[in-house]
Amino acid sequence: MTKKMPDYIPHPASYRDPAGFVFRANGLYYRQVNRSYSADYEELLRSGLYQKLTEKGLLVPHTEVDNDLTEHPDRYKILLPEQIPYISYPDEWSPSQLKDAAGLTLQILHIALDHGMILKDASPLNIQFRGGKALFIDTLSFEKYDPALPWVAYRQFCECFLFPLLLHHYLSTGTDRIASAWPEGIPATVTARLLPWKSRLRLGVWLHVLLPASVRKDSLPGGRTLSFNKTKLLHLTGNLGNILTRLKTATAGPSAWNNYYQHTIMSQTYLAVKEQLFREFTGDIGFRSALDLGSNDGYFTKILAEKGVPVIAIDSDWSCIDNLYRYTRQQPGKDILPLRVDIADPTPARGFNNTERSSFTSRTSADLVVALALLHHLTWGRNIPLPEIAAWLSMLTGAWLILEFVPRTDPKALELAGNRRSLLPDYDAAVLEAQFSPYFSIDKQFPIAGTERVLYRMRKNTFV
Amino acid sequence: MKILLLYIDPGSGSYLVQAIIAGILGALFYLKNGWIKIKSLFSKGKEDTPPGNDKEDA
Repeated sequence: MTKKMPDYIPHPASYRDPAGFVFRANGLYYRQVNRSYSADYEELLRSGLYQKLTEKGLLVPHTEVDNDLTEHPDRYKILLPEQIPYISYPDEWSPSQLKDAAGLTLQILHIALDHGMILKDASPLNIQFRGGKALFIDTLSFEKYDPALPWVAYRQFCECFLFPLLLHHYLSTGTDRIASAWPEGIPATVTARLLPWKSRLRLGVWLHVLLPASVRKDSLPGGRTLSFNKTKLLHLTGNLGNILTRLKTATAGPSAWNNYYQHTIMSQTYLAVKEQLFREFTGDIGFRSALDLGSNDGYFTKILAEKGVPVIAIDSDWSCIDNLYRYTRQQPGKDILPLRVDIADPTPARGFNNTERSSFTSRTSADLVVALALLHHLTWGRNIPLPEIAAWLSMLTGAWLILEFVPRTDPKALELAGNRRSLLPDYDAAVLEAQFSPYFSIDKQFPIAGTERVLYRMRKNTFV
Repeated sequence: MKILLLYIDPGSGSYLVQAIIAGILGALFYLKNGWIKIKSLFSKGKEDTPPGNDKEDA
């Protein structure tokens, strides 16, 4: 008699925490609670912390599953959390998103302390965005609070949240590149070297950056022990919260692409005509999700969201993404997820064995993909060949593509081309149509009045 | 030595740092409340600003 192997796939990123792991079975994500974590898990429920956090919409709710899906010797419980439709990473977030994730971590920490528990880690990966709101997704991050000990995740909180936001506050660099370069958090020593001198006027910089950067060991000489208590912890976390609320996330001045639609050299008539066409093109097709590539400030993302479907909007400019996120935050009914992704260099697969965090292309798809005023950036701005772009777009879309053709003579295209004009590949609408034809069939096309631009609605060829 | 410590206990560290920071913040908190109390002595009758420190609660 052979024993049937359990049919589940452990999530490749879920090996760090001995308390349990995430796995996929029957097309859903589950979380196993290991026996070693049973006391803390029961305390989470018994103390009322789980109920409080889920009622406030801060922690992902779950149900306990009776079915032994893993047949794992360490299994204590199996949880089915409310499913998160899309996972994004801190190197795709704008400063306001990272700041909200930091604020949520501290808020949850304070509520946990009121219930006799504490957060044992402060990874930004504990947080995802859903419906424009940050949500804590790691149910196993809580443990019983021991007042004699400081916060075990303090350094991680500083390195993953506080330092990138401090650097952004003074340098307006965005936080995505810092998170990308330092996925485990930027060390205090590096932060101290990057911060400008004027940051020394801030007490918080002395306390949380310069002091940790200069203290080289973690214990007092002579084996003396440190006394700690809850009041001290609250002073520390309260101070972190105060610093956080004062940090700027908005851009200091206009970046290259924000306000594109407000201050574009093209007329408001162009925008009005394009919007009308866009509404027509999206009005009579069915789609359950949409992806807006090169969304800018999200003028068209917002129109897509009116349909009540989840919309992911990406742009390479963090300030555009930050503006759109701040708009989204105030629109509870609309499900927009703005992410800073550069189409010419989208988020790669990362972590051990390149499987902990998946690439943007492999994790993203939508029924409708929208690429407005984008093509010339890729062809003339980054020299990407048209057939490659068509192939990539067909991987992302489940069915539909709305594409704007921008001719070479367009003032914006000329601006992009600069001195390289003679080096750039020439194409017109006919070439574009031919190059896209292996992947897409044109369903509708309409010239945008007053310009030489054309708006296409294409359907993905099913045999591709 | 530092590397060895990090290897054994990557999640912790910073305990000494936290103790120092909490000590400084505690001292500042104490001074601030003291200052508020002194100010309230001189502004009696005008406006009573509650100091809101731990001793009041105790």
